[in-house]
Amino acid sequence: MAERILISIGTRKGLFVAEGAKTRRKFTLRGPFGGGIGVYSTLVDARGTPRVYASSCNPFFGMKILVSKDLGNTFQETASAPAFPEGDGRALANIWSLEAGPGKKELWCGVEPAALFRSTDAGQSWELVGGISNHEHARQWHPGNGGLCLHTIVRDGQRMHLGISTGGHYLSQDGGKTFAASNAGVGAGFVPDPYPEFGQCVHKIAPARQVPGRLYMQNHGGWAEWHGPGGPRPEIGVLRSDDHGQTWHSIAKGLPSDFGFPIVVHPHNPDVVYVVPLDPMTRVCPHGAPAVWRSQNGGQSWQKLSRGFPKKETYFTVLRDAMTIDELKNPALYFGTTNGQLWLGREGGEEWECLFDSLPGIHCVKVAVV
Amino acid sequence: MPTPFHIPRILRPYCDGHEFVPLEGQTVRDVLQHLRREYPRLHGSLCDETGAVRRHIHLFVNSDFIGQRSGLDTPLQPGDVVSVFQAVSGG
Repeated sequence: MAERILISIGTRKGLFVAEGAKTRRKFTLRGPFGGGIGVYSTLVDARGTPRVYASSCNPFFGMKILVSKDLGNTFQETASAPAFPEGDGRALANIWSLEAGPGKKELWCGVEPAALFRSTDAGQSWELVGGISNHEHARQWHPGNGGLCLHTIVRDGQRMHLGISTGGHYLSQDGGKTFAASNAGVGAGFVPDPYPEFGQCVHKIAPARQVPGRLYMQNHGGWAEWHGPGGPRPEIGVLRSDDHGQTWHSIAKGLPSDFGFPIVVHPHNPDVVYVVPLDPMTRVCPHGAPAVWRSQNGGQSWQKLSRGFPKKETYFTVLRDAMTIDELKNPALYFGTTNGQLWLGREGGEEWECLFDSLPGIHCVKVAVV
Repeated sequence: MPTPFHIPRILRPYCDGHEFVPLEGQTVRDVLQHLRREYPRLHGSLCDETGAVRRHIHLFVNSDFIGQRSGLDTPLQPGDVVSVFQAVSGG
């Protein structure tokens, strides 16, 4: 069978799967799976026989992990979901991140309250990763508006980067056994110290795989007008690191807002990076005019990409895991909105088209060629 | 004498399809502990890792909400039935 593009879409009301040819001319939609239950994280693991995973975050009956082995035609619940050990005192409130590990059946899972779990049997059983979950800082982290969540897991050989809101960026250099806060240059606007050791509200971290050590971060910006203790913190929202996340510097100059949630890197060009600037108060695109912004020089300058979007009167939010990019030679971007639209950005985001306009509010979007 | 514990249809896949599960115990807390041993996934759908009943789960002894009696320490008598209800959701 010819290769297909599979888009996994986590929504407020379950998981949807869209499938189309590599031409991206037409996508068919199936779902909802896990009907009625919010899906905050999904993963298309294209290694070997492709598997689609989704967290089913049930406010009544707790958290479950769903898995499909038939390209998202049917889903089953795994034998267990992450759970804190007896006596820990914490209880799982949400599942925010699912990522493939280096082992064939290895998965990593970030949860709320902020903690990390690992599975070596494709999600059938889980163990708490103590190096971050029981870190000496863990009981000092605070929840942001979305809850205290470990939402980003980036693996890079023995290095592992975690994004925690609000905990900041944590780095492991021993495969995930131990972690250290690594937030030099990462600002915070909601505490008196503009550059604390930890406690930042990191929104998303994305690696530039072709350049060792290059990472981009969407941090919680929007503090240029703050005039309380510590003073204004302009341009702390979009950052770059060139030393494996040891230090970070701003690349927000030229953006209409340094507030946003997702950040996405071109799969073949480490200097091409995309963000969706949002008004920090309303958390919608400035002036009701949606736009993705792209840098083609590693964040030195930015261009607005809005061809195909409404020009006005459009008020949606794109959440942290709701934008992604495929890995075809000429990649396309995909993002979902809180008002249930799924957008496709052809030619690297030059031309936008709404694929589906009436899904439930979208939390997360992942894509793979399978 | 075991107390019948009524399971809503949506949760019966976690207890081999049974509508009622017989559980031993003097109190609601006791029967939940028995449930945890017999059907851990069903227990995990009703209680979190700390043992607390999930926020949207309401347990009744006969027609009494346990929150209006003695909570998890509500005593059970022969002939009692414990039932699981989902709290109202929506407007």
